Amino acid sequence: MSTDTAVRPKIQVEAVRKSYVIDGERQEVLAGVDLTVNEGEFVSIIGPSGCGKSTLLNIIAGLDQPDSGQVELSGLTDMRLGQTGYMQQKDLLLPWRSVLDNTILGLELRGVPKKQAREQALQYTKEFGLKGFEHQYPYALSGGMRQRAAFLRTMLMDQDVILLDEPFGALDALTRIQMQEWLLQLWESLNKTIVLITHDVDEALLLSDRVYLMTARPGRATLALDVALPRPRHYDMVTGPDFSALKAQLMEPLRSQIKATG
Amino acid sequence: MEFLKKATGLFTWLLPVAILIGLLVAWELWVQLADVPKWQLPAPSAVAKELGASRDLLWDHTLVTLQEIVVGFLAALVAGLVLASGIAYSRVLERSVYPIVIASQTVPIIAIAPLLLIWVGYGLTPKIIIVALICFYPIAVNTVDGLKATDPDMVNMLRTLGASRWQIFTKLQIPTALPFMFSGIKIGVSVSVIAAVIGEWVGASEGLGYLITYSQPLFLTARVFAAIFVLSAMGIGLFILAVVAERMMMPWHFNEKRSNSMRQL
Repeated sequence: MSTDTAVRPKIQVEAVRKSYVIDGERQEVLAGVDLTVNEGEFVSIIGPSGCGKSTLLNIIAGLDQPDSGQVELSGLTDMRLGQTGYMQQKDLLLPWRSVLDNTILGLELRGVPKKQAREQALQYTKEFGLKGFEHQYPYALSGGMRQRAAFLRTMLMDQDVILLDEPFGALDALTRIQMQEWLLQLWESLNKTIVLITHDVDEALLLSDRVYLMTARPGRATLALDVALPRPRHYDMVTGPDFSALKAQLMEPLRSQIKATG
Repeated sequence: MEFLKKATGLFTWLLPVAILIGLLVAWELWVQLADVPKWQLPAPSAVAKELGASRDLLWDHTLVTLQEIVVGFLAALVAGLVLASGIAYSRVLERSVYPIVIASQTVPIIAIAPLLLIWVGYGLTPKIIIVALICFYPIAVNTVDGLKATDPDMVNMLRTLGASRWQIFTKLQIPTALPFMFSGIKIGVSVSVIAAVIGEWVGASEGLGYLITYSQPLFLTARVFAAIFVLSAMGIGLFILAVVAERMMMPWHFNEKRSNSMRQL
């Protein structure tokens, strides 16, 4: 998918630094991060807790600005806010809106008439496993369904770049595997550039073209591992020898990072 | 299970009603057996008789008091919501006006009532102002809290979807504030009846509060009780109205609470 066309960088992060005042003390969270994501690529960022992965994603999304360095998104360095589809670990569905009205939130903010937006969303409810639940309130749904509803809300914005901040982190193991397979299928049918933040090595390898490893705070992207597994991928690959070899390559430095944080 | 649930539901209703009836019966018996004079403490049966006998008189005065409450409360609601929105939306207003609003609560509004008579006279207006002043505070303060109770992650989610400040206010802050606003409204409704009565005590020629101050020196104690009964009924009725409005405006809120408590079972 990403090999047949000319490789163009979609997201370029250069020497990004960021520090926050935490408990009255200035602490460096990102210490010069460099990272490139090409158009149509699926890239994962993995690292120990508190390494600033979410801060990096917030900066790419435009919610936050770097202290120094720069971020280029589709060739532009500013006005990134509202230009990416951003999904977090929490589904962040509005409890007072039905599932359908939650999915059209972004379209509504853009000024698309409600009726038209609803019709548009209804075309995808089956694919997103929400059929029959469109008019329920979010509390009536399972964790996996809520997450898929949040996905549909993100997807309907039709952004080229999708940022995923541990979107399966809060789900149980079985639902997570289901969601990973579902996302694989979905991504292979769309032509999106995806950045995924995760704790899960299997998840990172199974889904990605490339995996970045971040160091413990202050965060820095140290290793970029190309995942040369064939596509379409399937969950069975997780137990294969190629997969295990890649996993070993990733686990070793990750373990030493975790040790470093104590 | 279903039967049990229904039975306990019924029981929670029955118990307070049974206690109330028990108290009334004890009151009745005490008055009858101890021969308490009617001007001192009328029996519930005497109060009921009085309710029937002076129903036209009570009705006329009820309408006056109800009007003071409704108009005063609605004025407080509008003013409270507008001011709360302003405070939640603008830093400047929050820093300048909000402390004054909070400090104003230390002024005993009852003590202002006589001044209002000097300024606006004896009509309905001073009573409406007192009701509005007393209802305003709980509505405004609760709504401000609600408008500020938004989840920062939700705000960020809306920002990444391209929401403007105004859209965040209307699509997120206002719905988040609704349960808080209704808490304020319920408190406001409960105190509004007291406010109207106080307003009438200070100086009036009509209303249930006036009827009480008028009947008391004449030792028409049963009539005083009848007026109190009507005032309580009015307060309960208005409260129920607020609860019904709350449920109609936020069906999600109550279903969510119910499903959460079911999950805990």
